[in-house]
Amino acid sequence: MKLANKYNRVNLITSLVVLVITGVIYYIVIHFILTEKLDKDLAVEEDEIKQYVATYHKLPLASSYIDQQVYYKALTDTAPDVRLFHYTTYNNAKEHETEPGRSLITSVKVNGKRYEVTIIKSRVEAEDLVRIILLITIAVTVILLAALILINRFVLNRLWKPFYTILNQMKTYELAKMDDISQQQTNIDEFKELNDSANAMAARVRQDYKELKSFADNASHEMMTPLAIINSKLDSLLQTDSFTPEQGAILEDVYHGVGRLFRLNQSLLLLAKIENNLIPDVQDIDMQELLTNKIRQFQELFEKDGLSLVQELGPSHLRMSRYLADILLNNLFSNAIRHNHNGGTIEVFLHPNSLQLINTGKDIELDDKLFERFAKSTASEGMGLGLAITKQICALYGFVVSYQHKDQKHCFTVVFDPKI
Amino acid sequence: MKILVIEDEKAVLDSILAYFTGEGNICEHAATYVAAAEKIALYSYDCILLDLGLPDGEGMQLLDMLKKMKKKDGVLIISARHSLDSKLAGLDLGADDYLVKPFHLSELKARVSAIVRRKNFDGDNIITYNEISIDVLAMTTTVNGKAIVLTRKEFDLLVYFLANKGKVVTKNAMAEHLWGDEMDISDDFDFIYTHVKNLRKKLLEAGSQDYLRSLYGIGYKFGGS
Repeated sequence: MKLANKYNRVNLITSLVVLVITGVIYYIVIHFILTEKLDKDLAVEEDEIKQYVATYHKLPLASSYIDQQVYYKALTDTAPDVRLFHYTTYNNAKEHETEPGRSLITSVKVNGKRYEVTIIKSRVEAEDLVRIILLITIAVTVILLAALILINRFVLNRLWKPFYTILNQMKTYELAKMDDISQQQTNIDEFKELNDSANAMAARVRQDYKELKSFADNASHEMMTPLAIINSKLDSLLQTDSFTPEQGAILEDVYHGVGRLFRLNQSLLLLAKIENNLIPDVQDIDMQELLTNKIRQFQELFEKDGLSLVQELGPSHLRMSRYLADILLNNLFSNAIRHNHNGGTIEVFLHPNSLQLINTGKDIELDDKLFERFAKSTASEGMGLGLAITKQICALYGFVVSYQHKDQKHCFTVVFDPKI
Repeated sequence: MKILVIEDEKAVLDSILAYFTGEGNICEHAATYVAAAEKIALYSYDCILLDLGLPDGEGMQLLDMLKKMKKKDGVLIISARHSLDSKLAGLDLGADDYLVKPFHLSELKARVSAIVRRKNFDGDNIITYNEISIDVLAMTTTVNGKAIVLTRKEFDLLVYFLANKGKVVTKNAMAEHLWGDEMDISDDFDFIYTHVKNLRKKLLEAGSQDYLRSLYGIGYKFGGS
């Protein structure tokens, strides 16, 4: 639930409750005051009747005034004296309507005879007043609520806009792009602070990332020199006196180790370069031609493992770095060869918008981690960077590389333009 | 041939000098920018091996200097910088080739030989070794004047061997030379064996001596003792 909604809800409920309670209190108080006034009027009327009786020793006529009716009833001797107010109905003769009324029943003694006097006054005006007051209260409530909702919807949304803009920028923030979180135009302190903090954080993270990256970069570069020394010394060593086969085997292992370290280093540097988009030579690539050459280049490796190749190469043109196109194909082919079994097959399909390599191999479905760095099977001789590089290259040009396991074969597909 | 090695890393420098010395090669070296600039200004070389990252200067400027002095020295850049940019920049400034560290000495030798061969403008594209003669432009091979037909890979291998005659060349280096070092191929280079075997067979059939020897399972040696 959004903060604004939550706040609105509390706000609305509180307003509603407060307004309803005030309305009820208001109603009760006004009702009480008006009844009080009516009762006073009734008492005045009673007084007048009593004075009339005292002066003239007879009852005044049971006349009907506007909004007032008076009735008399003879009382038996045994009946007690009463004096009470109560609600009743009032027959408005003029308008032929029954209206709510308030009556005072009292008794009066005329010439030793007791009479019960009932004075009824119409309450209709008082009721009308109360009703109008109630209506006004309800109207005010409704208008207030509507105003609150509108304020919430429009004003709050506008107020929160800088917040959401900052939030969206943070969501789409990419370290590698090194862009800033733009300053939002707002005079609200909290948002200003948020904006500043987000920027400060981005700057700090960027700085850390830069340092880390340059460290990795420098480390890889610096490693090349000792590697060069080891390699050249090994070559030199090899030219000296003859070795026994055992020594030769050891030397070969050392060569392999150095070679792997070198390729690992090179791959890491390459990954860093692709991530930073430092590979500029984007050009038109005839994939069909490149693939044909690549297959020729890998011919010996296919033959070595007795792999048979099925190819179906249609024309396809791409815009990318030739260097990276080369590496992309190298990695896909190396992968298909390395994880194949003797006498297996490799199928290559090139369509205008996709490249597919299907190879036989161990019949296990690989998980999605295979595109991650250093993800490799224990039996693999590789470094586990080939597919990570493949994915990175694809990401750079907006290609989508995916893996499926079907019919006991491993299928890698690169879709060049996923929008088509 | 006369070679200048500009390299500040002494261990690498020593290895290069040791590998290149002999066969009538003259190797000089410079470990700093200043020393290198002086040598370049004073003498001419068939090939200059240039390390870009020198302690007191940028190797690229030496290329500039060579260009301004209109010198015809061949230049091979050896650098730990494996970036396309510096490669292109170097080649733009007149370098003949670019080799990334770490490299195999045999590869370095092959590249230097190729540069020197190209720089010798008297049209000498023929490499001879006893009865074997190779025309690198026409890509033809003769043994005792008799032409033999080699595949592209066998031909490349033979040129590589002749550039490194008398040296042990590892299978690893051969594979990288023939297939490129970016191929990320397996550590098992036995498929090289087929090519070497075929080459040897063709040479022997044409009446050549048996120069090729397999050594310790690591590599091969062509000629020499």
